[in-house]
Amino acid sequence: MAHVEQAMGTVFSFTVYAGAVSHTRAREAVGDACALLHRLDAVFSTWDRQSPMSRVRRGELALADAPSEVGDVLGLCTTAKELSGGWFDPWAMPGGVDPTGLVKGWAIERALDVVRVSGVQAALLNGGGDIAAHGEPEPGQPWRIGIRHPWRVDALACIVAVRRSVATSGSYERGPHLVDPHSGRAMPAAASATVTGPSLAMADALATALAVGGDDVLARLTGLKDYDGYLIRADGTEASTPDMAFVD
Amino acid sequence: MKRYPVVIGATAAGLAGVLSFHSSSAHPLTNSVKVAKDAGKGPATTTPPTTTSPKVTQPTSPGSKNVPTTTTTTTTAPSAGPSTATGTAEQYGYGVLSVRVTASGAKITAVQVARLQTADSYSQQIANQVIPYLRREVLSLQSARINGISGATYTSEAYALSVQSALDRLHHK
Repeated sequence: MAHVEQAMGTVFSFTVYAGAVSHTRAREAVGDACALLHRLDAVFSTWDRQSPMSRVRRGELALADAPSEVGDVLGLCTTAKELSGGWFDPWAMPGGVDPTGLVKGWAIERALDVVRVSGVQAALLNGGGDIAAHGEPEPGQPWRIGIRHPWRVDALACIVAVRRSVATSGSYERGPHLVDPHSGRAMPAAASATVTGPSLAMADALATALAVGGDDVLARLTGLKDYDGYLIRADGTEASTPDMAFVD
Repeated sequence: MKRYPVVIGATAAGLAGVLSFHSSSAHPLTNSVKVAKDAGKGPATTTPPTTTSPKVTQPTSPGSKNVPTTTTTTTTAPSAGPSTATGTAEQYGYGVLSVRVTASGAKITAVQVARLQTADSYSQQIANQVIPYLRREVLSLQSARINGISGATYTSEAYALSVQSALDRLHHK
């Protein structure tokens, strides 16, 4: 089955292979996952000035009094900041701590978990181009995910095999929204930065870091066992970690 | 944009496992259903059996048993056989995209681009493109079997929304 849901200012599309689970059960699980997405949106929205996250940002709400997820996410942000060598830094954003670069991936990961525990054979959740995966669409076949070409809407840059998650960040379509945490300035980012790995929360943050930090972050990813990166630099040249799972 | 139908074709392959759709409550849909049959417009549309029933084909998969019986609308879709609906035209950042979905029972048999308009600004952007293209040969989607696209915000959103609205028009709820 498939389902499309709008939340967090983007579109989430579910693809579910129910397998032995009834379709009714699979649909229930997708419904629960959507409810979770909307709940997390209400907690983390930086557009809603009254959301717990917005109040934490302004210093009006102590972390201890915020929903526990806020602390969870900020903890992951600390890890992502370390892994990225400081290129991902929610605390360097203007207007107070902003975990936006990690929270969407984290929410997608959580939502897919809801579907996964229902026992479905395989499932994919794509939230605005950040993707979490469970199982295999066909036995022995990992999910095949196209990486959007940075300058052409009608082409892919490549296809990668994805077992758990993939996130791509870039300056296209939404404009140069990336900020160099070292200078605080919007900076010309890499054209496209993709990270695969076991956690979409971390992949999302690392893709943001890779888009800003380029080759420095790619070198760091090479040193990480579970994560791989693929970088298209602003001049169109490409680079990747040695184990990035490109497929034909 | 000759390649575009293929783009969607490739994505349609990702929808091959689709059995039934659930409507999105958050999705602003036009309820004045404009039907449904684009007979003769697309190769995937076949002539339905003659019928006077105003009903839309009901899904027949086990998981769809609890789908409420169809409502009567302005649709003239048949009670059996393939039916087709065109989704809403969605902005996708570089223009406007809408898709046409053909279904047989609860199964989607084809998804095609019904309309694709590219904004002048995008053409201009391409024309002014001074950045060299990737070394890797641009991968057209003609042969690409993929399950999804990473980094495709506007384009994939427009696609997903248009598909959903087309399915809603087919009463895959």
